Amino acid sequence: MIFGLDALSLILILICAILALYIKDLMGSVIVFGAYSFLMCVVWTCNAAVDVAFTEAAVGAGVGTVFLVSTIYNTRRVDTYRKNRVLKQLFMFLVVCVVGSILLKTITDLPHWGDAQAPANTHVSAYFLENSIADTHVPNVVTSVLADYRGFDTMFETCVVFVAFIAIFALLRTRKIPAKDLTPPHTPVDSLIIKVASHLMIPFMQLFALYVVAHGHYSPGGGFQGGVILGASLILLAISYDFERALEYLNEKKIILFVALGVLIYAGIGVICFFLGGNFLDYSVLSKILPATDTIMARSHAMLGVEVGVALTVMVSMYGIYLCLSSNGRMDKGI
Amino acid sequence: MIILAIALIVLGLFFFFGTSIGILRLPDFYSRAHAAGKADTLSTILIILGCALFHLHQAHYDLASFHVMAKLFVIIGFVFIGSPTATHAIMDAASAAGVEHWQKKKDKK
Repeated sequence: MIFGLDALSLILILICAILALYIKDLMGSVIVFGAYSFLMCVVWTCNAAVDVAFTEAAVGAGVGTVFLVSTIYNTRRVDTYRKNRVLKQLFMFLVVCVVGSILLKTITDLPHWGDAQAPANTHVSAYFLENSIADTHVPNVVTSVLADYRGFDTMFETCVVFVAFIAIFALLRTRKIPAKDLTPPHTPVDSLIIKVASHLMIPFMQLFALYVVAHGHYSPGGGFQGGVILGASLILLAISYDFERALEYLNEKKIILFVALGVLIYAGIGVICFFLGGNFLDYSVLSKILPATDTIMARSHAMLGVEVGVALTVMVSMYGIYLCLSSNGRMDKGI
Repeated sequence: MIILAIALIVLGLFFFFGTSIGILRLPDFYSRAHAAGKADTLSTILIILGCALFHLHQAHYDLASFHVMAKLFVIIGFVFIGSPTATHAIMDAASAAGVEHWQKKKDKK
């Protein structure tokens, strides 16, 4: 933690947050919000939380911005909410002041940064840090906590991504073209430079994403980050060519199939443990069916399987959400 | 080596400075994007190159530091492809949306 860099990025974050609320042009607001996410990523890196920084960079600054831009593309660009609502604004200001002062009052009770005696560091996390290698043979404790010790949490996080995709798909997907087309006129991208450049980038992106998924035990990364990068590579394909080209690789049926398959892989590994005589998601019993593994390596291998499931769900749902949002649910053409 | 690294980083910062002046001072959208696209790419590449040399010096030229340098070179490659392409895409979209070119006042009439 470098104090100067931390202070600078926190000040810039505050400026970005205020600016994002203040700007009336929503497109500008989204861009500022992307900058905000990137600065958060810098703060996480300064605090040595590289896994979180990775996720923030991929989701917040990358895919999230694309989602917001494609939503604005299909709705309205200018914020008209704040007209003639002085009384409401005053009330909200009052509420914010009261709640903020209560929160500020409690700041003095919080433990210091990195305090070893803080409640968060005295219960289970000490056990995780000390026994991760002995229990699971995984040096990156974040992955072992995420996928093994707290496997239930991560399974339902994956389910949240799944449900978000299903909700967006069910709300937006439509087959009929409305009589009055509200979307702005579509100009297809027809630039050789963009196509060649994306052709050069996409294979490396996907290779890197697979590395992030598979190497998540040893270095920062894992299913969520790798899945988002894979999804981003597909989104890049859909942006730089058109939807037809992207849907050739992964069409609508496969999208729905894979998004469910990812959750199924995760829950399926848990259920297999169940049948082998252990608890749900107790990976150590998998050594009975995995060849040449003891109970420790079985936990490590099962984590990889679980990460693959997470990556599959996240990749396909990011891609599907983008297709739905940017084409207003028609899945024919978008940004 | 360390002098070379510092020189590269300072040169990169100089071009970044030029970029920010260009974005603030140039008259229309296209010239501003041109300043942002070109000088920004060059300065990023110079700074990463300087960092790579600095790391090499710091780690006393062992094998692992060459590994880090190779990774930084890959990043340079991606910046070299990605940044000008992004600028091109923005310019292309602007021209499709009909943003006017800047002209000198006497040519306008």
